[in-house]
Amino acid sequence: MEKTRKIDFKTLGLRDALDLAMLIEEEAMDRYGEFADSMELHHTPAAAKFFRFMKGIEQLHEAKLRGRREELYPNVPRVVTREMIYDIEAPETHEPRVHMTARDALKISLGAEVKAFEFFDAALKQVKDPGVGGLFEELRNEELEHQELVKKMIAKLPPDDAGDIADYEDPPVMQ
Amino acid sequence: MKEPTVLPTYQAKDFKSDLKPIWCPGCGDFGVVQAIYRALAAIGRAPHDIAFVSGIGCSSRIPGYTTAYGFNSVHGRALPIAQGIKLANPDLLVLVAGGDGDGFSIGGGHVPHAIRRNLDLTYIVMDNQIYGLTKGQLSPTSPKGLHTVTSGLGSLEEPVNPLLYTLAYGAGFVAQGTPADMAGLAEIIEEAIRFPGFAFVNVQSPCVTFGEDDQQVKAHRAAMKPLKSIGHDQTSRIAAMDLAQQYGQSLHTGVFYRNPAPAPTYDAQVRERQQAMAEKAVPRERILDMFVQK
Ligand SMILES: Cc1ncc(C[n+]2csc(CCOP(=O)(O)OP(=O)(O)O)c2C)c(N)n1
Ligand code: SF4
Repeated sequence: MEKTRKIDFKTLGLRDALDLAMLIEEEAMDRYGEFADSMELHHTPAAAKFFRFMKGIEQLHEAKLRGRREELYPNVPRVVTREMIYDIEAPETHEPRVHMTARDALKISLGAEVKAFEFFDAALKQVKDPGVGGLFEELRNEELEHQELVKKMIAKLPPDDAGDIADYEDPPVMQ
Repeated sequence: MKEPTVLPTYQAKDFKSDLKPIWCPGCGDFGVVQAIYRALAAIGRAPHDIAFVSGIGCSSRIPGYTTAYGFNSVHGRALPIAQGIKLANPDLLVLVAGGDGDGFSIGGGHVPHAIRRNLDLTYIVMDNQIYGLTKGQLSPTSPKGLHTVTSGLGSLEEPVNPLLYTLAYGAGFVAQGTPADMAGLAEIIEEAIRFPGFAFVNVQSPCVTFGEDDQQVKAHRAAMKPLKSIGHDQTSRIAAMDLAQQYGQSLHTGVFYRNPAPAPTYDAQVRERQQAMAEKAVPRERILDMFVQK
């Protein structure tokens, strides 16, 4: 599936690449926030807590990139918009499930990190600007580090509790 | 990248409301609402220039999650209400949305009339082949043989085909999308909004709670056949109807039909008539003369 619209990696310059990277983090941050809200609403606290944690992580990444962008291009307006990217580092909306475990939530996040790695890896094959190449390489390698981090977190988790989904079923409702 | 002369006025997040969706986590409708935000941002109309009308169902909650005027109305009655709104204020961009039950069961009788009247509306049906809100009963698009709480031995009915239904009644724009392809879905919705006249978008929006495995996003991704990739002629209603017959067997995505010479809309004709009548109308202070015998 297409992940970007109206972006030509061959002509992409560093300023737009930094903006793009920030938007990718922002999209992931918002999605994790939405997942956390949804999990809280559906009484799935362990997954909610993890998604909230991930929202914070993405926020930190975004802030780091923003600082760099402001230093390099102070007060230059942004041309790239959120509408140009689709679920690059953000986990996809169809992935969570009600009563999912923390392990399930971490696996979703691991999938998102793999996806982001693949995106930067594929983009690098088209990029011409050396500054953009450097940035994307750095971001791609960071995705690998994040994958390792999530894998370690998964390994530390206690075994899942075999709950019965029927305990949570509601009767049909009128509306 | 080229510097645009004008930066976009609205961004997708400007159309996201403060209300938190209560859909089941993973519901296909989450993807649909994201695609709508993006399409609206691309259109660039202000939230106060948009009215979003729905019926009742899980999918019909969508106006609540969108920053625009919203009306979560009565089961099956979204189209009549939307037509009234468009006629009362033709300057509004009017979106209509709901489930396959809302649109093709209880509300099925309104679809042909909305189509033949041809008001400038965009109708988005989130087709999950089930009644989601009332917890998993048979819907008009459920496949034959489906086991549900109301068809314990398997359904004996053939499903309604929303694509063929709207094409046969003469809709000027008919398309199908899935949240398995977000970029494609946002593009289709944007095109539908831009079409001058009644535009129908069938979205295969999986119900993760009551839906079948082969109706989920992963299955869509494996089965999808974008119409662009098979060289379909979207100006031919006959070619579109031919392909639409594969509804339920093949998942074709993209624009099935777009009338290359769109007919005048009902709202535009009403405006024209109002203007013509206004020219001939007697001045306000002489209205009573029409009723007074001289
Ligand atoms: C007049 C009326 N009849 C029946 C209902 C009960 N009802 C509410 S939603 C619904 C069907 C929901 O299915 P669909 O429209 O496909 O939407 P989904 O929930 O799947 O998104 C029904 C039968 C109602 N609210 N009002
Ligand atoms: S019941 Fe189905 S359609 Fe309704 S919110 Fe849940 S997943 Fe979505």
